[in-house]
Amino acid sequence: MRYAKVIEEMNVLFNGRVMVVDSGSVVIQAIPIGRSMLPQDYTLKQLHTIAGVEEAVPILFITPIGVGEVIRVVPDNFSIGIPVEHWSSILGSATLRGTSGRFPANDSCAEIAVGCSLADQYGMAVGAEVVINDYRLNVTGVLETKIAMLARSFIMPLELAQNVYNQQESVNIITVKPASGYSQKDLADAIKQEITFTNALTDEERNDMVQPVIAQVGLWNLGLETVVFCMSLILVMTVTIMSVSERRRDFATLDAVGAPLSYVFRVVLLESSLIGVIGGILGVAFGSFTALAMASLYTSIPLAQFIPSIFEVVPPLYMAEMFVAVVGICCLGGVVPAVGAARTRMAEVLRAEY
Amino acid sequence: MKIVASEVTRKFRVGSAEVVAVDHANLEIGAPEFVAVVGPSGSGKSTLLNMLGLNDSPTSGKILVDGVDAASMSNVSRRKMRLLRMGFVFQNFNLFPTLSALENVELPMALAGKPQELQRREAERLLLSVGLEKRASHRPKQLSLGEMQRVAIARALANDPEVVIADEPTGELDSKTAEGIIGLLVEVGKRRSKSVIVATHDEKVVSVVDRTYMIRDGKLKLES
Repeated sequence: MRYAKVIEEMNVLFNGRVMVVDSGSVVIQAIPIGRSMLPQDYTLKQLHTIAGVEEAVPILFITPIGVGEVIRVVPDNFSIGIPVEHWSSILGSATLRGTSGRFPANDSCAEIAVGCSLADQYGMAVGAEVVINDYRLNVTGVLETKIAMLARSFIMPLELAQNVYNQQESVNIITVKPASGYSQKDLADAIKQEITFTNALTDEERNDMVQPVIAQVGLWNLGLETVVFCMSLILVMTVTIMSVSERRRDFATLDAVGAPLSYVFRVVLLESSLIGVIGGILGVAFGSFTALAMASLYTSIPLAQFIPSIFEVVPPLYMAEMFVAVVGICCLGGVVPAVGAARTRMAEVLRAEY
Repeated sequence: MKIVASEVTRKFRVGSAEVVAVDHANLEIGAPEFVAVVGPSGSGKSTLLNMLGLNDSPTSGKILVDGVDAASMSNVSRRKMRLLRMGFVFQNFNLFPTLSALENVELPMALAGKPQELQRREAERLLLSVGLEKRASHRPKQLSLGEMQRVAIARALANDPEVVIADEPTGELDSKTAEGIIGLLVEVGKRRSKSVIVATHDEKVVSVVDRTYMIRDGKLKLES
C-alpha cells in the first residue's frame, strides 16, 4: 500500500509536461527503468524544431536497483541530474533545510544537494562529503520534502551527474512544456512522429500506465484483507465458542436464577469486544512495527530512521481503520456464541451431565 | 406461592429410545412448608424440580403456579418468576468462580435491578445469616464445600423468594457438613416463612421435613 502511495506521489512530478524517453524505456510514473538513453543535444535540437515546444529540460535519472550482485526490489536512493536553472521543474516547492544551505551552482563539478531522508540516515549536513563512483562531492544543501523519492535522492547539476555516472551527452528523460494553445496530446503525437526513437508520454498516459498497477495492488490488498477478515472472524468465533462451552454451567446458572436473555448476550458480547479492544491495540502496535521492519528490510534504510515517520508509513487513519476492524470482527465473532450462551438451559446442562 | 404439579410427565429421547424421567407425577406445595423429594440417583428428582422451578416444561400434564398454567406464561414471565419469587440451590453449588462470595449473593439482586447500595447491604446481611460474614471477599475456590453451599443458599435468598428449590444440596458434602446445611434450610423455611423443596437421596432429611415424596423410576408417591 505504501509503495502504491509512493507511485501516486510522483503524480506531482512533471505535472503538465510531456515526458520524452527512449522508445525502449519502461516508465513507472516519473521514473524510467533501465539504461535506455537519449542523445541529449540531438534530441533537444530536434525537439526545438517541433511547433508547440516551449521548453525542454533534459534530466538524467539514475535508479540503482542492484548493489553488487544483489538486485533490490525497492531502490533506496536515486540520483537526479538536472540543469540548475530548472530545479523547480522537479523539486516544486521543496525547500532547503536550515539557512546555510544553497542549491549547487550550475558550473560546479563537485556540488550536490541531498534528500532529507538520506541526509538523516548518513548524518550528512551542509559541507559533508559524499563519494559516488570515486567522485568526491560536497553537500551544499539538504532538501526538505515529503515526497519519498526526492527525500532519498542525490540532486546535482546535469553535467556533473553525466560525469559521475559516465553518461556524457546522454539523458534518459526530457520534459517538454507545451506552448500555450498546444495540448499535451497533440505535442506528444508530434514528438513521436518527428523523433522516431522516442516515446512521448502525457500526464494522462503516464497515469494510465500505472493505474493498473495501483489497482492491482489495491485488489491484492482487498483480497488479503478479505481473507484475513474471514480467518479472524472464524478464529474469534471459535475461541469465543470454546470459552462459552467451558462456562456452560455458569450460563445455565444465570438462566436458572432468571437472568434476562439480553444480560447473558451482553456479557458474552462485552467479553469478545474487550478482547477486540486489547487485541486491536496490540495488533496495531505489532502491525505498525512489522510494517516499519519490512520497509527497513526492503529499502535497507535503518529501522530507527522510520520510527519518527511512523505515521507516514502507517497513516493514523489506517491505524484507526485497523483498530475499528479488529473490534468489529470481535463483536461480530461474539454474536453467535453470545446467542448460544443466552440459549443455554439448566435442564439441558444437567441432562447432559447425567 | 402455590405450586401444583398435575399428572406431570417428562420424557426424553436418548438415541432411538424414549426415557420417561417423570411419570404422571402429582404434587402440591402451598403455605410455607418443607417438602422433600427422596429417591435414588436417576430416579427423576432433578427433572421434577426443574419443572417445578420453571426451568423445564413437562411433556404432558400441567405445572400451575398460583393457579396459572406455566405453559401459558411467556419466557419473560417465567424468568421473572424464577428471579423474584424462587430461589435455587444446586448440588454443585454453581457459584461464579470469578466473583467473590459477596458478589455471588449480590448477582440476583443486580439482575432484579435493585440499587447497588441495597444489594451490598442485603448481601452482607445474608452472608451474616449463614455465618460467612468473614468470608465475604473470598472467591469460591478459597471456600470449603460447606461454605460454598452456604453462599449458594444466601444467593438463593437474595431476592427474598417465596420458594427455595434445592436440588441435592448435600450431595457433595460429608455427613456433618450436610447436617449443617439441612439445618440451615430448615431455618430458612421456619424462620423466614418460605416453602422449601429439597430433592435428596439422603433419607435422614425425612425426619426434619413436613412432607416426603418418594420417587422411583419417575413415579412419585406421597410417603408421609
